[in-house]
Amino acid sequence: MEKENTITEYNFTGTSRLVLLIGMGLGVVCMILSFFLDGGVEHHARFWSNFLHNSVFFTGIALMATFFIAVCITAWAGWYTIFKRVWEAFSQFLIVGFILMLIIGIGIYLHWHHLYHWADQTILNPENEEVYDAILHGKSAFLNTTWYVIIGGLIVLVWVFFAYKLRALSLDEDQNGGDANFSHHRSMRWYAAAFLPIAGFSSAAMIWLWIMSVDSHWYSTLFAWYTGASWFVSMIALTILVLVYLKNRGYFANVSAEHFHDLGKFMFAFSIFWTYLWFSQYMLIWYANVGEETTYFKQRIDHYPVLFYGNLIINFIVPFFVLMRNDTKRKYGTLVFVSIVLLLGHWWDFFLMLKPGILHTAHEAAGMTGEHGGFTPGFTIPGLLEIGTMLGFLSLFLFVAFSVLSRSSLVAKNDPFLEESLHHHV
Amino acid sequence: MSYRNRSIVYGLYNDEEVLLDAVKVANEKHLKIMDVFTPFPIHGLDPLLGLEESRLHIGGFVYGSLGTLTAFLGMTWIFVQDWPQIYGGKPHWSVPAFIPITFELTVLFAAIGMVVTFYIINGLGPGVVNPYIDPRITDDKFCIAFDVHEVNQVDAEAFLSETGAAEINAKTL
Repeated sequence: MEKENTITEYNFTGTSRLVLLIGMGLGVVCMILSFFLDGGVEHHARFWSNFLHNSVFFTGIALMATFFIAVCITAWAGWYTIFKRVWEAFSQFLIVGFILMLIIGIGIYLHWHHLYHWADQTILNPENEEVYDAILHGKSAFLNTTWYVIIGGLIVLVWVFFAYKLRALSLDEDQNGGDANFSHHRSMRWYAAAFLPIAGFSSAAMIWLWIMSVDSHWYSTLFAWYTGASWFVSMIALTILVLVYLKNRGYFANVSAEHFHDLGKFMFAFSIFWTYLWFSQYMLIWYANVGEETTYFKQRIDHYPVLFYGNLIINFIVPFFVLMRNDTKRKYGTLVFVSIVLLLGHWWDFFLMLKPGILHTAHEAAGMTGEHGGFTPGFTIPGLLEIGTMLGFLSLFLFVAFSVLSRSSLVAKNDPFLEESLHHHV
Repeated sequence: MSYRNRSIVYGLYNDEEVLLDAVKVANEKHLKIMDVFTPFPIHGLDPLLGLEESRLHIGGFVYGSLGTLTAFLGMTWIFVQDWPQIYGGKPHWSVPAFIPITFELTVLFAAIGMVVTFYIINGLGPGVVNPYIDPRITDDKFCIAFDVHEVNQVDAEAFLSETGAAEINAKTL
């Protein structure tokens, strides 16, 4: 009854394409500019760090969409079925993410950039007494180009496979599903259950390689969880924004305040989970006060105080106090406001994870030693070129997601949980 | 909300869907329902009865904030004023170390405060005997009750039998 009133095909109009293409063009212009306006940091570190920052951020969002589909299927969840095509569309960005991260990986082999200190072969040889780095030599069984490019690439391909498979089964269910055995759904349950442990362990390895290893001497066992939570909140925030946009365009008429309420609860809960992990990591390092560990926070508090404390305010204080009430999770105004704040906030969080370490490595590679304060364009705070690059990557992400979305029905009409989703009540 | 010493007419229904329809009919006829008793929460019943959202959570926020302040100011006083000691070379006023206990007391105050408030508002607690209409409303019966001072007993009984109540009774609580 309700299903018939709904538009089931998404039309990716020329105007939307044009807007997103302009966004991508802006991103390309900003990347070219940041390639040359490097602010005195050598080896085009500004360009490459922006590239890494945004690739990691949006690939992570696609991974979390895949992961959350698998979680929902395994948990017999039914509330999300009505808009599951949006997450399936997000998950297909993993293919693009694979290419983006491959470019970074090839760059390590071809010395296009010096993002990773461990990639420097000369410091691993004990005979080079002046530059030999015993710590990185000890870590070189894991922190090496083979792990980064070959094994890392294979891991992302495994993610791509599961993202593709879960969507392919879901699309095939539209055409040939609806049998009494729910054979498509049963098959999806196998793939989803297999993906959960794979994603759980492999995402940690990729976070160590892609992000944590820019501070190559430092490590934290909580770091992967903390980064994963950051990805997850960003994914939920982007989902809310895309759903509100599509609803305004007349799609997803059946997605009600009840569904947004649940998305809002996830955003609220995982913002607090993120804060919990952030604080746990900080407090243990602060308490133990071991020099090798405190250097990470010392560097950030001394040279990036606005980013460091602002990170906590926008990613914890804002969602905590705005989304605490029942009705703010059900109203578009507050929900969209918090989603935009959190999407930018967690992008900012990744900025703070990556940039200080990359700048430090770039200074070392240039032969500079000691403390280096002062303002560095593109590193001290996100500049206009960084924001433009982010908008370019966001446009790319949305372009891929909307293209995928337009190629299938918006309603998974034979999904056994569809009816439950239509009558969802919080 | 005490229903002590009130004369009521009530009907017991076997199905929650029948009860929901009956409540809609009562609203159309402007019969003032005293209360509805069900063994489990029924989706869509609250708006039909015109029940407002509970304000218990506002109390929860106040109690929680009180816990935050108690813990934080308490530890500040203890570790800075009353008995300053140095632990691991940290300053006396070590905010990160206070956060876990501040969190715990926030949760504790909010939880206990809300439970006590809930009990007081509903007249519950140790040693209190509350009247009940029928023991089966905690099992498989769904009850609509009218106060005979608000709704004529004949009207109420007619309404209950029309809308499919399985049993109709009157009693004084």
